[in-house]
Amino acid sequence: MLHKIVLHPRSLGPQMRQYVTEKLYQEVEGTCTGQYGYIVTVLALVDIGPGTIIPGIGSAEFTVKYSAIVFKPFKGEVVDGVVNGVNKLGFFVDVGPLEVYVSQHLIPADMVFDPNGNPPNYRSDDQKIEKGTLIRLKIVGTRVDSSDIFTIGTIKEDYLGVIE
Amino acid sequence: MSFGQRHTEDEDASLLKLGPDFQNADCLLISEVKILLETQRNAKIKENKKISDIIQKTLPYTQKFSHFNNQYSAREARKVLSTVELSSFEIAQLGNLGCSEPAEAKSLIPSLIGKIDDESLDHVLKQLQSINKFQS
Repeated sequence: MLHKIVLHPRSLGPQMRQYVTEKLYQEVEGTCTGQYGYIVTVLALVDIGPGTIIPGIGSAEFTVKYSAIVFKPFKGEVVDGVVNGVNKLGFFVDVGPLEVYVSQHLIPADMVFDPNGNPPNYRSDDQKIEKGTLIRLKIVGTRVDSSDIFTIGTIKEDYLGVIE
Repeated sequence: MSFGQRHTEDEDASLLKLGPDFQNADCLLISEVKILLETQRNAKIKENKKISDIIQKTLPYTQKFSHFNNQYSAREARKVLSTVELSSFEIAQLGNLGCSEPAEAKSLIPSLIGKIDDESLDHVLKQLQSINKFQS
């Protein structure tokens, strides 16, 4: 993956490599982009390209090549997660850094919302979905923002739903 | 927003279309991510560096959902998975979902259909299960 780093002239010198590394970690790690998804952690710097001075400012720009662990949800992908909140319109599932929304239309018809339960839950004869339940879902759609990913999921298919 | 939608439209994991940036990317097992993140976290604590929110959320997730809880079993699982000719994405999905039968695997990972016969798939799943069962 590539990232552009701008260094102030005061950082140019023998310790430049260290500055570039530090700045890469600072700017990239823990961010979320539409292109790569969540950048969980940077693994290694592969290459720091030749720097170019930006005319008029004196700062130098480097294109850094690095490898990282990223998490990007894809449409059609099946993931496991933990239920984080339940309401009458559906429920939210935490899949690591990502929050997936499962609408009530994408919950099997035999599961009904019980607003009086404590905590509120969806239940059928043999299954119950409440906060903290482990669930397997399929991602049906993603929408990417400049800094976040919104995802909706379904459990209305074979082999999806509560994990025992 | 229109850009975002166009961007995601041609991606579909069930058809194995992951977009230009990810088509050749290596996919990791949750267990492998867990091992890498734990090492990173310990290094960061040692150097007194801040641990990002995303790591704080991802690490418990990987600890909860990893099927192989140590380095040896994760390596063993990777070895078993590398015996079948599948894409990196499918291999990671097989290892992460821990399916018990070929029908389940093919339903959850539709791109497997037509690529691998039930017998060899069953063989791989059984091996993964036994690794999972006998790890310390």
